[in-house]
Amino acid sequence: MTQQTQAGAPSNANAKNPVLEVRDLCVSYGKVEALTNASLTVGEGQIVTVIGPNGAGKTTMLSAIMGVLGSRGRIAFDGSVEGVPEVERMVARGMTLVPEKRELFGEMSVEDNLVLGAFQRYRMGKRDHAQTLEEVYALFPRLKERRDQAAGTMSGGERQMLAVGRALMAKPKLLMLDEPSLGLAPLITREIFRIITELRRRGVSILLVEQNARAALQVADYAYVLETGQVAMQGPAHELADDPRVIEAYLGLGGKHQAMLST
Amino acid sequence: MRADRLVLGAFLALLLLVPAILSPYYVTLLNYIGLYAMVALGLVLLTGVGGLTSFGQAAFVGLGAYTTAALTTATDLPAWLAWAGTSPWLTLVVGLLLTAVVAVLIGSLTLKLSGHFLPLGTIAWGISLYFLFGTMESLGGHTGISGIPAIGLLGWTLDEGGEIYYLIWAFLLVAMLTTHNLLDSREGRAIRALKGGRIMAEAMGVDTSRSRMVIFVIAALLACASGWLYAHMQRFVNPTPFGVHIGIEYLFMAVVGGAGYVWGAIVGAGVITVLKQWLQNWLPSLLGATGSFETIVFGLLMVLVLHRAREGLWPILKKLVPVRAVRKTIDADAEPLPRRTLPKAGELILEAKDVTRRFGGLIANNNMSLEVRAGEILALIGPNGAGKSTMFNQISGVDTPTSGEVRFLGKPVAGHDSREIARMGMSRTFQHVRLLPTMSVLENVAIGAHLRSDKGVLSSAWRLDRAEEARILKEAARQIERVGLAEHMYEEAGSLALGQQRILEIARALCADPCLLLLDEPAAGLRLKEKEALGELLRKLRSEGMATLIVEHDMDFVMSLVDRVVVMEFGQKIAEGLPDEIQQNPAVLEAYLGGVE
Repeated sequence: MTQQTQAGAPSNANAKNPVLEVRDLCVSYGKVEALTNASLTVGEGQIVTVIGPNGAGKTTMLSAIMGVLGSRGRIAFDGSVEGVPEVERMVARGMTLVPEKRELFGEMSVEDNLVLGAFQRYRMGKRDHAQTLEEVYALFPRLKERRDQAAGTMSGGERQMLAVGRALMAKPKLLMLDEPSLGLAPLITREIFRIITELRRRGVSILLVEQNARAALQVADYAYVLETGQVAMQGPAHELADDPRVIEAYLGLGGKHQAMLST
Repeated sequence: MRADRLVLGAFLALLLLVPAILSPYYVTLLNYIGLYAMVALGLVLLTGVGGLTSFGQAAFVGLGAYTTAALTTATDLPAWLAWAGTSPWLTLVVGLLLTAVVAVLIGSLTLKLSGHFLPLGTIAWGISLYFLFGTMESLGGHTGISGIPAIGLLGWTLDEGGEIYYLIWAFLLVAMLTTHNLLDSREGRAIRALKGGRIMAEAMGVDTSRSRMVIFVIAALLACASGWLYAHMQRFVNPTPFGVHIGIEYLFMAVVGGAGYVWGAIVGAGVITVLKQWLQNWLPSLLGATGSFETIVFGLLMVLVLHRAREGLWPILKKLVPVRAVRKTIDADAEPLPRRTLPKAGELILEAKDVTRRFGGLIANNNMSLEVRAGEILALIGPNGAGKSTMFNQISGVDTPTSGEVRFLGKPVAGHDSREIARMGMSRTFQHVRLLPTMSVLENVAIGAHLRSDKGVLSSAWRLDRAEEARILKEAARQIERVGLAEHMYEEAGSLALGQQRILEIARALCADPCLLLLDEPAAGLRLKEKEALGELLRKLRSEGMATLIVEHDMDFVMSLVDRVVVMEFGQKIAEGLPDEIQQNPAVLEAYLGGVE
């Protein structure tokens, strides 16, 4: 059943061992409240997606969870509550964010970008980046081909692969993806979705914000609809995908190309 | 009475009363603050708004001071110049003209420099002008020139601090008013686009090199006027106050006060001048030893300010004063801007013929041909890295093909810069959004209408452009409403979600009244409803006769919207046809769409 949420009500009951539990998260830009009492749970090994119109506060929510933005509310990650999330600490604890704009180090080589992704682990004495690098290369053979090329000279699809690869170098428990398919050709978008499901198989929990709502709902286990800073609807992804309100507002009819993206 | 008017009125009344209330010491201090603030105001325009860092402003102050000093004290002026020495007001005119000429000369040499080369360049000419003052025997060498007459005004002789005080602050207030007016205008938007938006501004038809020169000359003229006042206040000049270290101090004033704000100039000049005086007086007695401790403490304070208040002190002060920014009003009665007559449907608008572009060994575009007709939407699709953006650059004149030709409205695009092409009626959006994040949505869109008005710097400064400005804002508001961003009109563009920023770019492109729209991934990041609205808008434009070339990856969006599709892979055209044909084309399915397994 899809349900309308009351503030603070438990949700995503399917999630065993929640990796991330967010309760009543509020974020303001000056006087404007961008996020109001948003609650969300990501279970271990789940893909959870957040859909909603532009300006609904999706990117804001990811930034607040990551500690890039200040917020009020309760954020529990991997069993313990973070009073004031701080980005370095969140990365060290196993959370990574692949931002909407990729934010690569354009003048550095692909490999250097990747190795930097393991920076926090290296600092903490876990110096297994050579091995992780091979794992990432196995997932993205294209990156291995281009390892010495400057990141700024790569095509849009390769950049996104690099951004995801760099996040994976931190061996995250929770990977947050903000619009991973933005600006990507259909074939590459399919590749990205294939990798997302592959990552879940390997036990990475994923919080996904994605413009291709139909494709996102197809791969996700659970979904939230965020509208004007509030969770408007939530439920198992396949149920939301059939919900007439969601179809009307976010999926539309006959999006055959989009449906193909996650196959 | 609006609160901001009240605060301003109180401030002006206070200024007026100062010489009557305060001791001459403080009046002198205020005189210096006024003089410094005038130079700092130039730097607000040049550095804070325009992004051009100059350490050399003190040299222009010197130019103003020395011109008047030399002319008014000389006894043996040649006959053709003798008229200039008769009154300080005439030497002001001479000084301003001379400064303008020198600034244009120096500017044309140094403004082409970018990054750290430009500040280094300003240091270089700052030093040379300083030594010029010191070494020229006729200018008194390092001892300087004394016996400069006081300024006479309507029968008064301004030979006391309390008298010239009024002249200094009148100059400063007029300068602030005109600068404020200038920034809030068509030219002002172009100037504000210089920092971080040059490519975008050029594509909207702004001559950014000219805008850079304009603010450089204005800053120099302000410095010159300050120097002129200084010379007649001190009645004596020597080279010391015009050195590079003073130039650095001016820059400090602008930055500490708030380099992006007109009022920051006064705040910065005030804080630094007063602070230096106090520190100089107190520190030695506090520490029980003599020495230039103030410089050390001063340096530390500067570091602190730069850490804690990047934007300077003015934005912080502004919060304490009950003043709110006034919203721009849209005058619904303003006459609409003139519109170009769109070509008849079916007329050939854009034609690319055998376009090849090589980068070294890499062929980014190979023999690409395409055409777009009026009243038609053509989609250019293909995998990432297929050369679509390169093709866009060939079409929009940003880049020139190695071979082949692009013709727009029958004329070759090659050899024209972005501005001329924009003027011909081609308008574009960018794959990576290019807008000015701290400016409002309305003002960002208004930049698009730059070429539809011709009011210049002087009419902006003196508010003779208001009718035109109202027309531009009305047009911008119309386009914003048209693309569905009306509720965000007064928000900062940077606060919009990425998808909305792309829509903003479309409104900006439409504001230029184009006949060809180039849209680079307009639907990326949009949600279903937003895509539907965008599709509706593009259909409507098509029915009005607009030609549109669109690069987009959302196939549901593309296939239901466009008339024809061109598919690229590895820099070449692999297919062209109607949407239905393309979706069946095996080569396209394999290279791009997928779905054959």
